[in-house]
Amino acid sequence: MNLPDSNFLSAPLWLITGLHILTLSMHFAAMNFMLGGILVAAAGTRTRHRDHPMFRRLMALLPSAMAATVTLGVAPLLFLQLVYPHQLYPAAIVSGWFWLLVIPVVILAYYFLYAGSFGSKTSARSGAGFLWAALPCLVYVSLLYSSVFSLAERPDLILRLYRQSQSGLLGNPEVGYSLLRWLHMVLGAAAVGSFFASLLAKDDPELFHVFRKIYGWAIGIASAAGLAYLISLREAMSGLLRGTGAWVLAAGILASLGSLYLLWHRRFVLSAVILSASLVLMVTTRHQLRLWQLRGQFDPASWRIAPQWAAIALFAAFLAIAAAAIVTMLRLFYRHQPHS
Amino acid sequence: MNYPFWDAPLGYGILTAGIAVLHVFISHFAIGGGFFLVVSERAARRSGDSGRLEFLERLSRFFALATLVSGALTGVGIWFVIGLTNPAAVAVLIHNFIWIWAIEWAVFIAEITAAILYFYGWRRMTPAGHMTIGWIYFVFAWLSLFFINGILTFMLTPGAWLATGRLWDGFFNPTFWPSLVIRTCICGMLAGLYALLVAAFCKPAPVKARMARLSSRWGLLGLAATLPALYWYWRAIPAAVTTAALQGLPTPMQALRYSYWFAGCIAALLLVFGLILARRLHAIVAALIMAAGLGWFGSFEWFRESIRKPYVIAGYMYGNGVEVADAAIYQKDGYLPHILYRSEDDLADLFRHACRSCHTMQGYKALKPAFEGTDRAFIAAIIRGAHLLRGNMPPFYGTAAEADYIAAYIDHRLDQRSLATLSGLQGVSLGKKVFEIRCGKCHPMGGRSDKTKTLAGLTGEDYRNILDNAATLGAGMPAFTASETDRNALIEYLKTLKAGEEK
Repeated sequence: MNLPDSNFLSAPLWLITGLHILTLSMHFAAMNFMLGGILVAAAGTRTRHRDHPMFRRLMALLPSAMAATVTLGVAPLLFLQLVYPHQLYPAAIVSGWFWLLVIPVVILAYYFLYAGSFGSKTSARSGAGFLWAALPCLVYVSLLYSSVFSLAERPDLILRLYRQSQSGLLGNPEVGYSLLRWLHMVLGAAAVGSFFASLLAKDDPELFHVFRKIYGWAIGIASAAGLAYLISLREAMSGLLRGTGAWVLAAGILASLGSLYLLWHRRFVLSAVILSASLVLMVTTRHQLRLWQLRGQFDPASWRIAPQWAAIALFAAFLAIAAAAIVTMLRLFYRHQPHS
Repeated sequence: MNYPFWDAPLGYGILTAGIAVLHVFISHFAIGGGFFLVVSERAARRSGDSGRLEFLERLSRFFALATLVSGALTGVGIWFVIGLTNPAAVAVLIHNFIWIWAIEWAVFIAEITAAILYFYGWRRMTPAGHMTIGWIYFVFAWLSLFFINGILTFMLTPGAWLATGRLWDGFFNPTFWPSLVIRTCICGMLAGLYALLVAAFCKPAPVKARMARLSSRWGLLGLAATLPALYWYWRAIPAAVTTAALQGLPTPMQALRYSYWFAGCIAALLLVFGLILARRLHAIVAALIMAAGLGWFGSFEWFRESIRKPYVIAGYMYGNGVEVADAAIYQKDGYLPHILYRSEDDLADLFRHACRSCHTMQGYKALKPAFEGTDRAFIAAIIRGAHLLRGNMPPFYGTAAEADYIAAYIDHRLDQRSLATLSGLQGVSLGKKVFEIRCGKCHPMGGRSDKTKTLAGLTGEDYRNILDNAATLGAGMPAFTASETDRNALIEYLKTLKAGEEK
């Protein structure tokens, strides 16, 4: 019997790439809100504004933000595994123990956020203690992700590392390279966190001004870290800047600055839309960088394409149904008044 | 062989099972518990039962904390661990079922949103609105099971997919529907068990008794409904697989036997402490019933996983990641040229890719006790005929030289003293031990390929002839390479055999 060949993509590459970029942007939006929100709330309760109700509101939202981060993170990981299994799995295996440790660490952080949320009902300060506890957990996860995902773009390095040790106790030895990537991500999260904090504090001019300022600084420093990260990539950077990637990157930077300008002038909705666009553009840049990094070693276009159109249509239908259900539920939740 | 091998000092089966069983135990509760909550809320609101409503609110808090956090993340954990332990199999599943997983993700988002809103909505929504969200939650949670069930069952019974390669042939495979029914019943049972644990903390006593009885009825009904579904499931598995399991695979049958015991314990405890002595239900007893539920569900999953052996995807890929379709390539070239990620130790690389997915040297499915007191030639012969052992080992497709390399790798890690010294035995007792180690792997007394009848009543000379010509007696038979002491002891033991009698 001729057994089926499973080495294929069940949709055109453009569709999978598009879905990957879209879902990864959604994941980053939730993750940035959560991580940035923790930073803002934890630090804010150490200032004279600690009793401001905005911090309690922020803390109450953090467990749901974590749920959104985890849930929205599943799809991009799925699409990544589909196209890049020969890069992602080896990178994870080389760091096997650290990779596996992510799960209990995130569970711990998640429970800390719930404890912080429940604790903040009495006072924001008592809830903040749990946020400080959650922070190192999330720093670990973000550092590891930076290490593994940057390693996945270096198959030659994985081969070398595996020759050294097979026990799954290695990280990416190019620390500077993955640290810059991590720093760019965390500062970006701080920017998004302060953006949302300024939305929550929009009726308090003093606090709004503080968060708006933090947002500006965070964008500036995150851009500098991003630039340093790009420079550290050398060949990939020059490749990126020679192609359309330069335009995407430029548009992303302009969108970030545009969202800052709009926030400054209290155009909240438009600012949020532009910020989301900048996130999508940055994720697209990141995708292009990956392609440049892997050039000569792996080309995603080499996959055989055998589309499963019926299943794709079913996915689209279920996605629409799920979206409609979520909108319905949110309307139900916010429309009804308390009954007791 | 396209992936590196994570060589951690642990049994991958146990590691994966630990995370997976914990996940299914919580995630099935997430489905059944959602149904339990909304049905009970409806009944409580209709009857104006405030005690029951308070209980349900408390249960929903426990529900949210367990399912949203541990349930969701152990699910991600399964992805993480199988990506480490068998990336080749995950890649096959992802490439064939990516859109099923994507659909499951879409319904999962709605499920999680509903769970959060239901939890936070108790005191801020109208009863009708709150219950609507509860129903939406249940529908999406069950849909999530529906889609994952197709992929899970595919691994045991890929059915027509093996010939057609079509997605829906693999998804709606022979065990899809019975498995869906079993899992749906389990969801109901677990809803009862989790609710019973929360009920154990309820006050005052009359409310506690009512809630305990309600929960126990769910548990008992769910458990009872799984029994015919399990029979249906068993019948849907290809007869060749179930027959082989009944004849020669102790692990799945042992798992099945454990499941009967756990089921009995659950039923008895629910009857006594959940229904008859409901007022006096203690949290420890409720936790014990939960533990029995975990044991029962774990046994079922263990059965499902172990009956699939030697495959990870039946008929398509073996547990060590070797694809059936690649057999001819490996038989021609051997494994080594196809191992992409190499350490500087070929022997270790071969051992990892051929054996290490299931075996450790010491610990989980240990090889050291299985081969201690034997020799390199014997081990190599066993490797070459691995598929003949009990039917749950993948065939070795590498070259004879590679089998010898692996044997050298194993032999080097064994205690090199003689079996007599190691075991401290002599005479017939030593012979019995030699038999167990050298012959019993394929010809266990009372098991598959039992040769007692053929061997009983022969003379010492006959036995010596058989041992001298062992390698010519059939495919896969190793030459008898043991020491003269072991040979004499084995002959002494064989002389004691009587047809039809187990020694």
